[in-house]
Amino acid sequence: MIPLYGFLEGDTIGLLILAQPEDTIEELAEKLQASAAVRVKPMERVTVLYKRRALDPLVTVARAGLTALDRFDVVAERS
Amino acid sequence: MAPGKGAGVLKREEWLDLARDVGWEPSYVAEDELYPPEIAGRPWLPGPAWASWDEPYKTSYGEYVAKQHEKDNSLYAVRDTVGRVEDYRKLDPAWTNGLKLHAATLPLAEFAAVIGNLRAARFGRSSAWRTMATFGALDELRHTHIPLLLMHELVRWDRQFDWTHRFYHSNNWVAIAARHLIDELLLGANPIEFAVATNFVFETGFTNLQFVGLAAMARGAGDHLFEKMVTSIQSDEARHAQIGGAVLRILVQHDRAYAQALVDKWFWRSWLLFAVLTGFTMDYFTPLQARTQSFKEFMQEWVVEQFLQSLAEHGLEKPWYWETFLESLDYYHHMVYASAYTYRASVWFNFVVPGPDERAWLRQKYPRSWSELDPIWERISARWERADPGNDFAVHGTAIVSFCDLCQLVLCNGTPARNSAVVLEHQGKKRIFCSEPCRWIFEREPERYASHDEVVKRVLAGQAPANLIALVQRYFGLTYDDWGKDAYGGRYPWMRAGKEPR
Repeated sequence: MIPLYGFLEGDTIGLLILAQPEDTIEELAEKLQASAAVRVKPMERVTVLYKRRALDPLVTVARAGLTALDRFDVVAERS
Repeated sequence: MAPGKGAGVLKREEWLDLARDVGWEPSYVAEDELYPPEIAGRPWLPGPAWASWDEPYKTSYGEYVAKQHEKDNSLYAVRDTVGRVEDYRKLDPAWTNGLKLHAATLPLAEFAAVIGNLRAARFGRSSAWRTMATFGALDELRHTHIPLLLMHELVRWDRQFDWTHRFYHSNNWVAIAARHLIDELLLGANPIEFAVATNFVFETGFTNLQFVGLAAMARGAGDHLFEKMVTSIQSDEARHAQIGGAVLRILVQHDRAYAQALVDKWFWRSWLLFAVLTGFTMDYFTPLQARTQSFKEFMQEWVVEQFLQSLAEHGLEKPWYWETFLESLDYYHHMVYASAYTYRASVWFNFVVPGPDERAWLRQKYPRSWSELDPIWERISARWERADPGNDFAVHGTAIVSFCDLCQLVLCNGTPARNSAVVLEHQGKKRIFCSEPCRWIFEREPERYASHDEVVKRVLAGQAPANLIALVQRYFGLTYDDWGKDAYGGRYPWMRAGKEPR
């Protein structure tokens, strides 16, 4: 389990997200959106940012290099 | 002292000066033994450097007691007339939550201020300062007992008022943040830092926000006891706050950079506290018809303008993060309130959803930020509209929220588009801060803060439960009877029940 600080664009607070190393980045974004759904309507197309870099949605959390207590951001996909 | 025949007695001003400055130069013990630098504070200056210490509010013990007696009588008269349970039952249900918030966070903090003042009464470097700090300690003891006494009456009506005393004895997340602040500000600080931080920044900078702004709103809300309590307490604060400027004046002469750093640090820490305490109350808990100004407008008038003027008079600059602070005036308390609304079971007071009229008012008062905040309330309202009546957990968060490693408050700084939290690796351990000023405060004195874990790290270390309900009940000390709920159970006349979620 990897505890991460997740920040969803449009939300008012950072949340603790418990990710599995084998979760994909897409699943990580879904976890954060589900956790924030009481305040923010889930977006269909999003980008996950880590250290200001957009992550491949299909790569795993471990492969993306996220480690415990890192910050990641989920933002609306910019067309 | 007895005047001889024909000699006039001293004028009052001369007498007060004489009666205040009653120390002598020690000759049987070295000055640095009497006032060890470790506890007297830096810069350690020889006694004569403090000889010019002066502040405008001079009083004698006799005058002090007479005045306080008069104020207490006046306060208790108001209590006996309009401060009973039956009077509180008539008030707006939203308003009383601002009272619960203040009642819990203030009284025991005031007791910590007794200790801070007594340290200054012993280790302050001017005799006049020590005398005034002694009166300050008496003031703070009064401020401890008044709310404890007045709110005790209300416990039999509403158990949430029991948190007036319980709050600082709990591991509630707000109490952890409050103790983190109070331990340093009032219990741990040496007299110089205490005077700058508490007397100058906290009391001079922010006192008027309570004294003028909150008292006016309490009057408008019909809560005359709270109005009287605030004005009675704040009139003491306004007097002993003068100690701060007097200490700062001498500090600036000898170590301007340190004086500036203390001001910068404590203005930010004080701001975060008042944003929650007063920001919630003014912009959400006060009935719309009783709101004379927005929290931001009060801040601009009574804190920003006056504080900057006061800094300039002392030859100091505005804090380095001033632009960040000005932006946070539009966002911070709104972001904390919306977040806390969706985690209301984690605190001891109730919340309300701002209705269409309140949101129109907030949009007018906060044109820069409200368009980013309004969708949150749209979403929350929509959730209530499809929830079963009174089912609070249908509109409640379930994930554990995250906290700042410095201020211990939730990570709600910045804007909804870009939260300003920042991760820092320090001595192999990752820490997160809600803002650049909080990171700066930590990095300036890491040894002071590094051993303290915020709530998430306690959860990860197994010291606190990871399940939210278990965390609320077993760690934060709340039960269903006293945890925060929607004050109206989600039943607002402007909501349309059964509407599909958006």
